Formats: sequence, structure tokens, C-alpha cells
Amino acid sequence: MQHKMVAPMAGKVIQININVGDSVEEDDEGLVIEAMKMETPIFVPCNGVVGQIKVKAGDNVEEDDVLAVIETE
Amino acid sequence: MRPYFEKMADFGTALKKGQIKRGEENAALLKQVETQVAAAAEGIKQLGLPEEKVNARGEMTLWQRLNYLVDADTWHPLHTLFNPLDNEEGTTNVVDGIGRISGKWAVIIGFDNKVMAGAWLAGQSENILRVTDLAKRLNVPLVWLVNCSGAKLSEQHKFYANRRGAGAPFYRHAQLNQMGIPVLAAIFGTNPAGGGYQAISPTVLFAHKECNIAVGGAGIVSGMAPKGGFDTASAQELIENTRQFKSHPPGSAQIHYNQTGFFRYLYEEEEGVLDGLKSYMRNMPAYDPEFFRVAAPCAPKFATDELYTLLPIDQKKVYAFDEILARLVDGSEHMAFRPDYGPEIYTGLCKMDGYLVACIGNRQGYLGKDYPEYAEYPGMGGKLYRQGMLKMNEFVILCARDRIPIIWLQDTSGIDVGDAAEKAELLAIGQSLIYSIESSDVPQMLVLLRKGSAAAHYLMGGPQGNSTNAFSIGTAATEVYVMHGETAAVAMYARRLVKEEDSCKPLEPIIEKMNQIVADYKEFSRPQYCAKLGYVDEIVDLGALRRYMTAFAGCAYQNPKSICPQHHMVLPRIIKG
Repeated sequence: MQHKMVAPMAGKVIQININVGDSVEEDDEGLVIEAMKMETPIFVPCNGVVGQIKVKAGDNVEEDDVLAVIETE
Repeated sequence: MRPYFEKMADFGTALKKGQIKRGEENAALLKQVETQVAAAAEGIKQLGLPEEKVNARGEMTLWQRLNYLVDADTWHPLHTLFNPLDNEEGTTNVVDGIGRISGKWAVIIGFDNKVMAGAWLAGQSENILRVTDLAKRLNVPLVWLVNCSGAKLSEQHKFYANRRGAGAPFYRHAQLNQMGIPVLAAIFGTNPAGGGYQAISPTVLFAHKECNIAVGGAGIVSGMAPKGGFDTASAQELIENTRQFKSHPPGSAQIHYNQTGFFRYLYEEEEGVLDGLKSYMRNMPAYDPEFFRVAAPCAPKFATDELYTLLPIDQKKVYAFDEILARLVDGSEHMAFRPDYGPEIYTGLCKMDGYLVACIGNRQGYLGKDYPEYAEYPGMGGKLYRQGMLKMNEFVILCARDRIPIIWLQDTSGIDVGDAAEKAELLAIGQSLIYSIESSDVPQMLVLLRKGSAAAHYLMGGPQGNSTNAFSIGTAATEVYVMHGETAAVAMYARRLVKEEDSCKPLEPIIEKMNQIVADYKEFSRPQYCAKLGYVDEIVDLGALRRYMTAFAGCAYQNPKSICPQHHMVLPRIIKG
């Protein structure tokens, strides 16, 4: 099963703390988006493995863009 | 109203594993700042003569007097680092705070007799005026430990005169008396001139047998007639006069107890003087706590220490305000006012030590789609928008009507700007909030959790509300400035950069100036600077915030000037719907 991590708002990806293949736990801080001078962490939604990362640091993203995909059994 | 208040809605959630792990570094950084602040405070305590030397003269130090006077575990120091004019002594030379004496809350202040025998120093009258304002706002007694050698004469030009200068506290004492707020004074040591008025201006005077108070001291008596200068003959005359007055300083305790009767009580021992204060305080007018309590006091469900995990010291990081508040208020319970309106602002009723208080705070982070409703850009917590400011106006007005003390928890970067914000009337709605606060006449305190910036700092219960804000406390994460340093540097130099480039001049000198602005803003906004200049009245450990909030509630409900019967309150009913 796939769980998408989406951008809650338009902004710039300034930090990616996960790699494809990493085992992650719910509430790990996966990425950080900067917008309106503030840093908003994007938390991992569930326990699983990082299946895809669709952005890189420095990318500008729009609201609801998929940032990463977490795979669970 | 028991069904409303005895058990309110639970809020807050337990920390998750990831949060705890992520918060470790943040906690360490916060505690590092707190350690620095504590070291600075300890330095103030150690100023002047060693305790043993003062004791060897048969006197207690101010700190020993406070320790003897104030009920155990009830001392809440204020203005510890306050030194706005940067005195070389490192202090304004008064020590103050709120505490309980014989079970009753009081504002307590005393001269530090270890430093220049408790002299007047620059910035001291401003400190005292803050303290008299505090007693006035909370309607609690002001208790003085007077031991004041008068003005530091070599610097009198910095504090003697002026509207808020060294004589202003005497007018404030008169004002407190006229308002029915007692000012009790324990008098020790030699108190000439200014010290004499410090001693005579309170309501009831408790004197130690060795003290004296006088219009002028020996030095003034012996040197009254100016002769245009000094020579050997006049110096010799001075020596003889001084010897005489040194052995008999004017205004002894005997004169002012037996002849003038200014001193209502005279005591052989210093402890006796303090016992006299304790005895008086026992009889001070105060409601029994049960008169106003709406529930039995209880601790928050979540540990207050978790604040170190939850409050990011990094100003750019967002956090959940409701989780902070849940670790500060009784039982982690509340009644949220209009939770679906103005999402950038929390407004709600909570309990502190069983008393009903109103809490207002800035929520952080992204505010969701279509907010603010008047603009196309996204809203971010910390900023104020139309709905949040209207909600605060409503809430303050209702708190005033129901006579509920207000605790503001501020972390704001400012009010939304731009033409959309202007059309949304934010300028006027902000000032309307100031109008609402000013007309509320309920005691308020400010916890400057993190950032106080732009006009939002003023209108969210800031200390600029002189007649409503009782006191303000900051944290290790506090920063106060008109705008962020980088924003200021851009505002100051952006056009200059364009000009320099168009003139083919090097940009480096301008860039250097811009970086200096950023560095200055950082230095002049950090916690210790805020406390030194008085932007906040004290920097408080996160673990002690609840203590100060509890003390505020206790003071506010000790002897309030007006009452709203609990069953006549409308705010809880509006919340219920």
C-alpha cells in the first residue's frame, strides 16, 4: 500500500531527511518546506519504507504536490 | 456554574517518540540560555559587600530579609537583570518580585544594602514605578524593605530630576494610598534625604531601633552653605562638623518613635521588624480562595518539562501552540472560544490553581486553504489576520464583562500587510483591540513565549498597555524587535544597493553595513538584553512559567476591585452555545 506525503502549501523544499529504501516510523520528520519565512516540517504519515522521493532540496513545490511515497505491506 | 468549570474539555496529546528525539537538541539549547540567565541573576545577587561583612555589622542583607519575610516557595522575582541605563554597578539597586507573606500575596521590593548601602542609582525610579504600577494593577499591598543611603551623588544628573525620576515613586505611594492599596515599610539602616522620603511615604512604618530617617543626612547638614570652593580651613571645618554629625546622625529611631511618632512600631531586632510586617499582612483584606475558585486546583496532565521539547528556540520552526498551553493550565482542560474562526489565534477559558483565567495565544504554522479569506496568498500562524483580530476583540470584551483575568501568550511576527490587508481593515481592527484592552480594566499578564514583533507585539497584551498589563515574562526563546534584522537591513539599504551598482561602486561596504544591522538586531533582541532594558520584567525558565501564571491568578483574585457572579457570566454560555 502506498501513502503519499504531499505539500500542504506552496514553498521551497529546504531539507530532505529520508532516502529511498529507508525504514521510517510514523511522525518522523521527512522533509522541511520553507514558506512565508517559516519552516514547516512534513511528517511521515505511517510506519513503512520510503518508496519514492519526488523532489530534491531547493525545488519549489505547489500545494498538494507529492513529495514522497511511503510503502507499507 | 459547576457543570461548566469543574470539568472542562481535555486538550493536548502525549509526545510521540519522534518528537522526543527531535526535541533533545532544542531542549539543550533552551537550557543553555537559561543557564546563562541564571548565572547573570546570581551575579546580581553577589554584588557589593559579602554577606558576612554585613552580618558582622549586626545587619541582615536584603536577601536574608526577603528569605525571612516571604513564605517558602512563593517568591517570584521580577526585574532581576533590569539595568536600562547600564550602571557600572550592574543593577538599579532594588530587588523586587511578587510573593506571599503570611499567606497573602504582595508586591515586595527592597534596597540592596550590600551595594553602596542601598543608594539611589540610575534606572532605579523606573524600576520602582513598574513595581508601584504592579501593585496598582493587581490591587495587592506593596511591601518595602527600606534601607537607602540616598543618591549616588556623582551620578545624580542621571536620575534625580525628570518626570519619572527619583521623586516620582513618592507620588505613586500617595496614589496607592488614595486608591486604598496599603504600602507597608520596614525601615533599616541610615536613610537620609531621598532615603528619608522612601521611608516616610508608605502607609505604616515598622522601624528597627538602629535606623534613622531624615530630610537630610550628616553630609548635607555639614556642607549646607556654598562658599564658592574649598580650602584647607574650610576642609578642617568640614572634618569637625562631620565628626560631630557622624556620631549623631539626624532623625534617629528614638526621635521618630517617641517624639514625632512617624514610626508606628519599633523593634529591637531586625527579625522583629519583619515579624511585624508578617503580622500586618496576616490581617490584610483578602478573599478566601474558595470565594473565586471554580474547581479544585490540579496540575496539568502533561509534564511542564515537555515544553523544552515543544517550543522551538529556532524562530523559523513552527509548533503546536495548543500543546504548549496544555502543559501550563490546570488538568490540561479548557473551553475554546470560537475555535473554527480566526485559526491563527487561540482564545479560551482555562484554570490556574483552580481560578478561571482567559488565555490568548498565537497558533503557528500553515493555516489551511482559503485563509485568510480576503487574500490569495496563504496564511501562516504567528501573523495576525482579520478574523483572528476580531476574535481577540470579542474575547477581551467578554472577559472584561465577566471580570476574568487574561493571560496572553505571545509569539507573533506581525500583522498581515499589503493592499488586501488594508482593504480588510487590519490597521483599524488592530487599534480596536488596543481600545478593547484599555477599556477592559481586568488584570493581564504577558508570557512572551518567543517572538514579539511589529505592532502585533503592542496589541497582543504587550507591556505598552501600562494600565492593564501587570507584568510580562520572557523565556529563553524570547526575541523582541520592530522587524527581523534582515528585513530591516533590506528596508534600509535596498535602494542604496541599486544606486551603488548603477554608479559602478563596490557593493561590499553596503553589504557590511547590512550584516552589521542583522548582528545588532540579534544582539539587541535576545533574552538577557530584553530583561536588561525592561522589554520583559523577567526571563523565566520554561519549567517555571506555570508558577508565575499561578501567582498572577492568585494576585488577581486576592482582592479584585469588581466581581462578576459566576452564574452571571456570559462568556462560558456563549462558548457552550
